[in-house]
Amino acid sequence: MSKQKNEQIVASDTTRVAVILCTDWQAVAAQCELYTRKQWFDAVAVLHAQRVVARTAYAAKQGVQIGMRRREAQAVCPELHIAANNPERDRLMFEPVVRAVSELVPLVEVSTPGFILLATRGPSRYVGGDVALAQRLHSITHDALSLLADGRPIAFGVGIADGRLTAHVAAHAAAGRYVVIEPDDSAKCLAQLPVSVLADFAEIDRDVVSLLHRLGLSFLGDLVAMKLSDLVGRFGPVGQEIHRLARGFDRHPPITIAPPPERASTHRFELSVEDVNVVVTTARQVADELVSHLSSQGVSCVRLHVCMQTDHGEQSDRLWYQPEGLSAAAMAERVRWQMDAWVATRGLTSGVVLLRYSPVGLRARAGRQLGLWGGSTQADEWAARAVERLTAMLGSDSVRVAQWRGGRDVGEAFALTPAAVVDMERRAGSVITKETVWNGALPTPSPSIVYDEPLSAVVNDECGSEVSVSGRHELSAPPAHVQIGRHAYNVVSWAGPWPVEERWWDPLRQRRAIRMQMVLARDAVGTTRTTTHAVLMVLEHGEWWMTARYG
Amino acid sequence: MSSSLPVTNALQSIVPDGVLVRGRTVLCSGDAAMSTALLLVCAATQAGSWLAIVGVRDLGLMSACEQGVALQRTVLVTPTDNKKDWTSTVAAVADGFDVVMLEVPRDVSESDARRIQTRIQARRNVLVLVETSRQPVARSVFQPDVVLHTATASWQGIEHGAGYVQSRHIDVTVSGRRVPRAVQHVLQHVG
Repeated sequence: MSKQKNEQIVASDTTRVAVILCTDWQAVAAQCELYTRKQWFDAVAVLHAQRVVARTAYAAKQGVQIGMRRREAQAVCPELHIAANNPERDRLMFEPVVRAVSELVPLVEVSTPGFILLATRGPSRYVGGDVALAQRLHSITHDALSLLADGRPIAFGVGIADGRLTAHVAAHAAAGRYVVIEPDDSAKCLAQLPVSVLADFAEIDRDVVSLLHRLGLSFLGDLVAMKLSDLVGRFGPVGQEIHRLARGFDRHPPITIAPPPERASTHRFELSVEDVNVVVTTARQVADELVSHLSSQGVSCVRLHVCMQTDHGEQSDRLWYQPEGLSAAAMAERVRWQMDAWVATRGLTSGVVLLRYSPVGLRARAGRQLGLWGGSTQADEWAARAVERLTAMLGSDSVRVAQWRGGRDVGEAFALTPAAVVDMERRAGSVITKETVWNGALPTPSPSIVYDEPLSAVVNDECGSEVSVSGRHELSAPPAHVQIGRHAYNVVSWAGPWPVEERWWDPLRQRRAIRMQMVLARDAVGTTRTTTHAVLMVLEHGEWWMTARYG
Repeated sequence: MSSSLPVTNALQSIVPDGVLVRGRTVLCSGDAAMSTALLLVCAATQAGSWLAIVGVRDLGLMSACEQGVALQRTVLVTPTDNKKDWTSTVAAVADGFDVVMLEVPRDVSESDARRIQTRIQARRNVLVLVETSRQPVARSVFQPDVVLHTATASWQGIEHGAGYVQSRHIDVTVSGRRVPRAVQHVLQHVG
C-alpha cells in the first residue's frame, strides 16, 4: 500500500475532534482540594501504590518525576506535599470544567478526569470555524479552572485535529494555548511524531515501543509506510492496533456489520428515584441485558452514551469511552459517576425517571478460544464474578491482582493492578511468577512481611554510636543494638552490608542504599524464653529503616 | 465438590487430617504467622482453588510467589474501614473464593465473626485467619477449628557478618476445637 493512498484514507475516515487536556490532573485536583481547605502548596504529588503518579508543574520543575518513590520525591523537592490517590476527588474537581464545556457543546466524552473529547463538526459550524471553537473552548476552560484556585495558573491545552491520538498530542503540545491542525496536515503531523507517543497517549505497552525503536522504526510515519501484514506478523494483534493509531484511527476498528436491532436500552422508573444506589442497581440490570444482547451479536461496546432524565425535565448526557470495551459493571459504574456529578453540581432537583444507554461505538468482540477440555473451570467463573461484584462494592482500586514488574526491592517486584482491567479467566490459565532474577536482588527466601511504610530505626554499635557505612561499603562497626519505636533489641547475628546502586546515571532518580539482614532478640516479658526476629534493615540518606520482616 | 483441599507436604503431618477440610476456620498466630498461612494455602491454589487475601497488611508477594502460591488465582481485597461494610465484603468474598485469608481488624464483634463462620461453613470454603499483631484479636472473636501457633526457635545460615537467612526451625503448637489435645511440632521453613 503506498503512502499516498494511506493519507487519503486518513483524510476521509477519521472524525475531527477537539481535546481539552489538563496534564497531571490528579495532582491539580489534590492541589485545588487543599485550597478549598485554605491551604496552598505549589508542589503537590499524588502517590498510588507507593509511586508518584502525578505531580504539579512546579513539582515537575523541581525534578519530581512519575514513578518516583515518596522518599526520592521528597529528596529532590523538600517542600513537596504528598496526597493520596483519590479518583472520586479527581472526578468531582473536574466537574465544573465539564459543565462549563457542556454549556457550549451538549454531548462531551470524558474517559478520564482531566481529558474531554468532543466532535467538532456541529460546534465548529455554530461558532464559526475550528479556530474560533478552539478559542472558545480555551477561554471557557480557562475561566472554569481559574475559579477552582482563584486565578492561580493551572496548565491545560486545547487541540483540534483529525482523530483522537492527533488531537490528544496537539492538546499536550499546546501547553496553555490552543493548537488547530488543518484537516490536510493531520496525517503529516502524525507521521512526524516519535513512536513513544503510542505509549504516552494511547496506552500501548512500553516494551512494544522500545522494540519498535530497536527495529529502527522511530516515527509513526515509518509505521504507516510498513505493510499491515508485516506488522501483524511481527506483533500480532498489537501490530494492527499500532498501525491504526499511526494512521490516525481509533485503536480498534469500528464495527462494520449491521448494528443489532434494538441498540438503545431504555429503562423507565415507575416512580422517580432519588437514591443513587437504587439507580445504579437498576442501571446494572439494564446493562447486563444490553451486554448479553450485544455479546450474542458478537460485539462489545466501546463508546456509550448515557442519558438520564428527571420528572422535572432535566437531562444529563455523557459519552463514555473505553477502548477495551465496557462490561456491564463498568457501565453501571459510569452511571454512578455521572449521577454523582449531577447531584454534586445541583443540576438535579428531583428523582430520575428515565435511564437510557445508547451504544454508539461498537467493536468486534475479541473472541477467546476455550480449551476443548480443561480450560476455565467453575471456580474461575465464580471468582471472576465475585471480583466484579467486589469491584462494584469497593471500587476498582480495592480489588487488585499481582503482576510481575521486576526490581531489586522485595516490595516492588510485583505490582498490583486493579482486577477490573484484567481478564480474570484468561489470567487463571496463565502462570504469574518471577520472570527473571535481578542482579543485586535479595537472596531468597524473601521476607513474608514487607512494610508499606518502613519503620524508622536506630542502629548502634557496641559503644552506642550509630553504625554508618563508608563510600566503599564498609561498616563503621558491627551492629549490636537496634531501637525501633519504643522497643530495643539486641543484634544476635547479621549479614551484609549489601549495597544497592540504582540509576546512578540519572542525578534525579539515582538511589544509593545499603541493605542488611539482622536477627534481633528481645527478652519476652514474663518468660525466660528469648524471641528472635529476622528483619531487613535499609540505610538510605543516612537513616536506618526496617523495611521487611521474615514473619 | 471434594470435601477437602490439599496442603503441602511439609504441613501434612502437622495439620489435623493432613488436609484443609472445607467449612473450617484455621488461625495462624505467633511470629511466623504470615509465612505459615501462605504455606498452608499454596497447595490448594496450585490445585485450582482461588484465594482471596482480605485486608492483610504488609504482605510480601515475592514470598508468596516463592512459597508456591499461584498468584494467577490470587486476588487482594482491601475492605473499607467501616465495620458494617467489612462484614458484607467478607461475605461477598466467601461467595466466590474457595480460600479466604483474612486479617481481622480490632473492632469486629463476636456476632459478626459468628456470621462469617456460618457463611464459610455453608459455602464450604476454608477461612485462614492471620494474626500478625501482638493483640490476639482473631482468637477472641472467632472460634477457630484449628490453631497453628508458631514460635521461631532458631535461624540458620546467618552469622556475624556472613551468610544470609536460609532456613529456620519453627515450633508449631496445634490446638483448637477439632484438636483433642494440643500437639507440638517442629517445622523447617522460612519466609
